[in-house]
Amino acid sequence: MTEAGESREHVASILIEAPIRSVWNEITKTGSIQRALYNTVLETTLEPGARLRYYSPDRKRVFVVGEVVEVDPPTKFVHTYIFTMKPGPPTLVTWHLDETPDGCRVTITHSGWTDAHEDVDKQIAGWREILGLLKAQVETGSIPLKTRLQYALMGLMGFMLPKTTRVGYADEQGW
Amino acid sequence: MTGPGTDSGSDVPAGAGRDDLDPVWKALANPIRRRMLDLLRAGARTTSELADSFTDLSRFAVMQHLRVLVDAELVVPRRSGRRRFNHLNPVPIQRIHDRWVSRYRRHWAEALVDLKAALEANAADGEATPAALRRSSQ
Repeated sequence: MTEAGESREHVASILIEAPIRSVWNEITKTGSIQRALYNTVLETTLEPGARLRYYSPDRKRVFVVGEVVEVDPPTKFVHTYIFTMKPGPPTLVTWHLDETPDGCRVTITHSGWTDAHEDVDKQIAGWREILGLLKAQVETGSIPLKTRLQYALMGLMGFMLPKTTRVGYADEQGW
Repeated sequence: MTGPGTDSGSDVPAGAGRDDLDPVWKALANPIRRRMLDLLRAGARTTSELADSFTDLSRFAVMQHLRVLVDAELVVPRRSGRRRFNHLNPVPIQRIHDRWVSRYRRHWAEALVDLKAALEANAADGEATPAALRRSSQ
């Protein structure tokens, strides 16, 4: 690995006081809303090579597209990642789950960033919020009211999203 | 609420003396460790690379500081090939932000709404003097 490659790998980690299986089930849940992941619906068969998409609850928009790279329950989930609001070359997201005496350590590694990517800091900032929400969701079964209100607003503002988030656009791109 | 001049801790819930963010505050209290985090913000580094940046410290001291940062989860070591890189983990700082800053921001929002109500009430009464504002905000 080159120095530049290393510095462009971003890591976020949190300890969740819950069984590793419940965390795994939450992050690999398909077909229904994942509240920690900004209220999106993951659609994929979770097999290497399979298409992966995170949709809006009404399935009219798709925010993250990619391909499953590796699935090793309940410890590792790797997929490529294109953020449709700021499309660029695919990057790589790795979820690591490690069992600890207190529960489960979740570490996200996001690598493969290049000069072609826009607003990397903003895209990365999402992960630390997502991990905090995941901890709240898995430990308490809910997320803060503030976040639920934000989601309700996001739902209403859907028409303001760029056209690159339309499902039809993703289909055209072959994402 | 406590009145003015009573600087007691009665607003602090019982058992709030310790919490899981304690190691984070402790880690952040040291200027060397904050410098380490500043360095890591620019990108992950191996422990040797970090030690090279702190010529005034022994390698042992650097490792001890690093250990405190790892215990506080502010730094996450990850292996990449043969080398072990220390990555900055922004999550604990985000949690401090969520717990403290966003809470105070809500107070500000409420205070502004109160101020708006006070101003409008006074405008309706035809008196928007500072004294009237002070009265209505009490």
